Amino acid sequence: MTEISYENLPWPVRDDITAAQVRTWEKLGQPGTWLTGAERLAVAAEARNAGSCKLCAARKDALSPEAAQGEHDHLGQLSALEVEQIHRIRTDPGRLSRSWFQGLADQGMVEERYVETVGVIANLVAIDTFTIGLGLDPWPLPSAQPGEPSRLRPVAASRELAWVHTLPPQGAIGTVDEDLYAGRPTAAHIYQAMSLVPACVKGFFDLVVNQYLAPQAMRDFDNEFRAINHAQIELVAGRISALNQCVY
Amino acid sequence: MTGNDASNDGGVPNGAMLVRFVDAVAGDDPGELTAARTAIAETMGGAALTDTAAVAALFDAIDRVADSTGIPLEDEKAAATDSWRAAIGIDDFTAAAEKGSGQ
Repeated sequence: MTEISYENLPWPVRDDITAAQVRTWEKLGQPGTWLTGAERLAVAAEARNAGSCKLCAARKDALSPEAAQGEHDHLGQLSALEVEQIHRIRTDPGRLSRSWFQGLADQGMVEERYVETVGVIANLVAIDTFTIGLGLDPWPLPSAQPGEPSRLRPVAASRELAWVHTLPPQGAIGTVDEDLYAGRPTAAHIYQAMSLVPACVKGFFDLVVNQYLAPQAMRDFDNEFRAINHAQIELVAGRISALNQCVY
Repeated sequence: MTGNDASNDGGVPNGAMLVRFVDAVAGDDPGELTAARTAIAETMGGAALTDTAAVAALFDAIDRVADSTGIPLEDEKAAATDSWRAAIGIDDFTAAAEKGSGQ
């Protein structure tokens, strides 16, 4: 069992960061909503492997990612479609397009699995990039836990907001997924992004609240909640997002 | 706004130092990352370093959520930022036309 711990670092890591990462790592190997524990770990391993893929490197350097053709260097655990999804999201997210997404769908991509895969990649990146920043090796992936995915799809999911189906806050009211928005009628688009798989939202925002800020703290400019202030936090967030060419 | 030159902080305390660290995290020069990390730890303290790493990592991840699901920028955010998005180059990003910016 991998146990995330930063106790031996020369710098203090907040306990809430460590606790959130421990919770995330435990869930990584457990059955999800659409992927088994083994599949979730295969996604995580492939996301790490994407960094050494020669095709991805060539695409990253190309004026258009479609200009470079070939096969991804992969670990052999997932379909070519899944490997394409994982590698592109991991290595060149800023140039993903609706036509690329539609191309995956036309080839048989299962949207619910796509969204859960996004969630696994996001969790992995949030923790792996943290360790990179602190000069640590990436944590070994946990062991796969047995069990079947729940395969529960929000009944009110619709394709109105994004490329993927999402669960609108109003649509969640009165359903088993009402707790996702705590009864609120609206939510930021980024919070709705993975709502086709509500467990992905809840899991990832556990990291958001602890590595970034809780919602009530984001606009509370009378108080500071971290060792860097609001302006410094937003500078860091904005810079990495600019490097990723993220419009949102 | 790069390096440790305080005149390049952009109005944010230790801004240049923070940007240097983020660039190093996203880069591929281990020596530069070590230097950037050391600069923050020695100047701002260890807790500032780990909180900076936590935010950078979280947004490295959340960018991928936004970009792979195709969520658009909220109308009110687009309106509030319209005057400077073009000026700082966001509207030139590849995805800008599809995701609510640069239209």
